[in-house]
Amino acid sequence: MTTIRNLSHLPRLAWRQLARHRWRSALTLLGIASGVFLLATVESARQSLARATAAAAADSTLVVYQAQRFCPSTSRLPEHYLGPISRLPGVRDVTPVLIVVNHCGASLDVVAFRGVDADAWRTYLGTQATIEGGSFDEWLTQSDGALVGAHLARSRGLKPGDRFEAAGVIVTVSGILDSPNSQDNSVAYTHLPFLQQASGTGLGTVTQFNVRADPETATPTEVAREIDALFSSDQIRTNTSAEAAFFADTAADMIELVGFTRWLALAAVVAVAGLIANTMLLVVRGRLRESALLHTLGFSGGQIGGIVLFEGLLLGVLGGLLGIAAAAVLLAWQAPTFGSEGVVMAVALAPGDILRVLAAATALAIAASLYPALLASRRCAAAALRL
Amino acid sequence: MNASIQCENLSKSYQKGGQTITPLEALNLHVAAGEFLALMGPSGSGKTTLLNLIAALDHPSSGSIRVGEHDIGSFSRAEAAAWRARSVGIIFQLYHLVPVLSAWENVELPLLAGSRPRHERRKRVDSALRLVGLTDRAHHRPTEMSGGQEQRVAIARAIVADPALIVADEPTGDLDRESADSILDLLASVSAEFGKTVVMVTHDARAAARADRTLHLEKGRLVEATDKA
Repeated sequence: MTTIRNLSHLPRLAWRQLARHRWRSALTLLGIASGVFLLATVESARQSLARATAAAAADSTLVVYQAQRFCPSTSRLPEHYLGPISRLPGVRDVTPVLIVVNHCGASLDVVAFRGVDADAWRTYLGTQATIEGGSFDEWLTQSDGALVGAHLARSRGLKPGDRFEAAGVIVTVSGILDSPNSQDNSVAYTHLPFLQQASGTGLGTVTQFNVRADPETATPTEVAREIDALFSSDQIRTNTSAEAAFFADTAADMIELVGFTRWLALAAVVAVAGLIANTMLLVVRGRLRESALLHTLGFSGGQIGGIVLFEGLLLGVLGGLLGIAAAAVLLAWQAPTFGSEGVVMAVALAPGDILRVLAAATALAIAASLYPALLASRRCAAAALRL
Repeated sequence: MNASIQCENLSKSYQKGGQTITPLEALNLHVAAGEFLALMGPSGSGKTTLLNLIAALDHPSSGSIRVGEHDIGSFSRAEAAAWRARSVGIIFQLYHLVPVLSAWENVELPLLAGSRPRHERRKRVDSALRLVGLTDRAHHRPTEMSGGQEQRVAIARAIVADPALIVADEPTGDLDRESADSILDLLASVSAEFGKTVVMVTHDARAAARADRTLHLEKGRLVEATDKA
C-alpha cells in the first residue's frame, strides 16, 4: 500500500514536467501521433482484410464463376444455370448475381453494384442484416432502387431517396444496408433485371451464382466439384470455389499490397520508439541537477526513474490517442474501400484495432523509456549539497 | 526523534588525477539534539563534505557517523534516501526549487517522497508556509519570487516533513542582509522553538554568530570551537 502511495504522485510530477516544456512536448506528441496514425491506418487496412476473409471463411457459401475469368465483366454465365445448380444434391439455395463495377483493377475508389433476385436475396440476407432509413419492401417497389451498404453510403454521403451514378448506372437509394458481412456494407444491391439492362449486360446473363451448401447432405467441396462437372461440356464452363478461397484468389492483389504495408507499420513503430527514447534521453540529460535535488530530498532512484517512465508513458498514450483519433477521423471522413475484380473491402477502424494500436503505443512508450528511466535513477546518485 | 550527531574518527578521501584527496580527516564531533551549529572555514576545508556525510548524501571512507540511533554511514542508497525523506531537511545556497512547481508544490515535494496521505500533506504544507510567512505566495512559481522568498520556500520545504535534523549549506550566501537576517531568524527559531538540530555551513561571521556554537575547520580538521556569547 505504501509503495503504491509512493508511486501515485509520479504521474502528476511527470505531467508537470511535460507541461513545463510545452513546445517540446507538443512537437514530440505530434511526431508520436504521426507514427501512430500511420500504424493505425495500416493496421485498420490489414485487419479489415483479415476480417473480410474470416467472415467469408466462416460459412459454407460457394461462388460459381466463369472459368478463366479475371474481372466481373468477363464472367458471363447464363442465368438458366440456376435450375440445374438448384437441383444438385447438397445445394440449399442459389442466388444469381450480376456484378458491375466502376473499376475492375485494384482501386481505392470502387463502387460495385450487385444485381440480385429480390426473393432469393431476402432469403440469403436472412435476419442478420438491417435496413436503415427504408425497408426491403420499399426496395421491392422501386425498379431502380438500390440497397446501399452502410460503408459505401458513408463514403459517398448517400441517404435514402438520393440518386447516384456509377459505372454508367443510375440508381435511387431505397435504404442503407447494415450487415455483419463487411462485403455487403461496401456494395449496392439492385434488382437483377434492372442492372442487367442498365449496365448493357443483357437479360439472362449473370456474373456469378452464390450457392449455399447443405452440409448434412454433401460437403461444400463435393458440391463445388458437382457444379463444375455439370457444366464441363457446356460452352461456358464454370469454376466453383468456397467463398473464402474465391475471396483470397480475387483479393490476391490487395492482400499482397496490404501485406507489404506491414513494413510501413514496422517503420512507424521504430520511429515512435526512437522518438520517445530520444526525447526521454534528452530529458534525463537536461535534468541531472533536478534529479539529484529530488534524491537529496529523499526520493529513491526508483521514484526518480518512475517519473521519467511516466513521462514517456504519457507521451506514448497521449500521442497514441491523438494518432488513433486522427486515423479514425480520416477513415470516417474518407471511408476508403479497397477493390479488386469486384471484391470490395471497406477500411474501417474497429474497436479491437484501436485497443491493439493503443496497447502497442503504450508498450512502445514503456520500452523506449526504460533505459532513460534507468539512467535517471542511477545518475541521481551524484546528489550532493553543491548541485 | 533524537537527532544528536556523533562522528568518530570520521574521514573521507577520494582519488583524483592519481592523487588521494582527503577533505576530511579523523574528525571527532558531537552535536547535541536541538543544537544550532555553524561550520566555518576556508574553501576546501571540508565543511560541505562533512555536511554531505551528515545528510547521508555520501559515505565515509573510515570512521563512523551516527545520527540519533542510526549508523548512517552504513546506509545503502535506498535506505539513505528513505531516511532523508523522514529525518533530514536540506537547505541549499541557491535554493534549488523546481521551477515548474508552485511554492506550495515545492514544499510538498519531500512529503511525496514518503507515503503521507493527501490530507496530512495539505495540513503540513500549509503550516510550513505559514511559519515562513508565505501563505499568500503559495501558488506563485519560483520565478515570480525574490531570492529571500525563494529561500523561505526552501526552508518550508526543509521543515515540512518535521525532520529532526536540518542541514543548510550557505543559506544566506546569495541574499542581501535583510533577507539573510530573516532566514537566520527562521533557522534560529526552528532550532530553539521546535527543537530541531541545525547544522549550517557559512562563510559569514554574522550568520555564524546566530548559532549556539561555531566550529572552524581547516584542511579537514577541527581547529577551533566558539560558543555563543
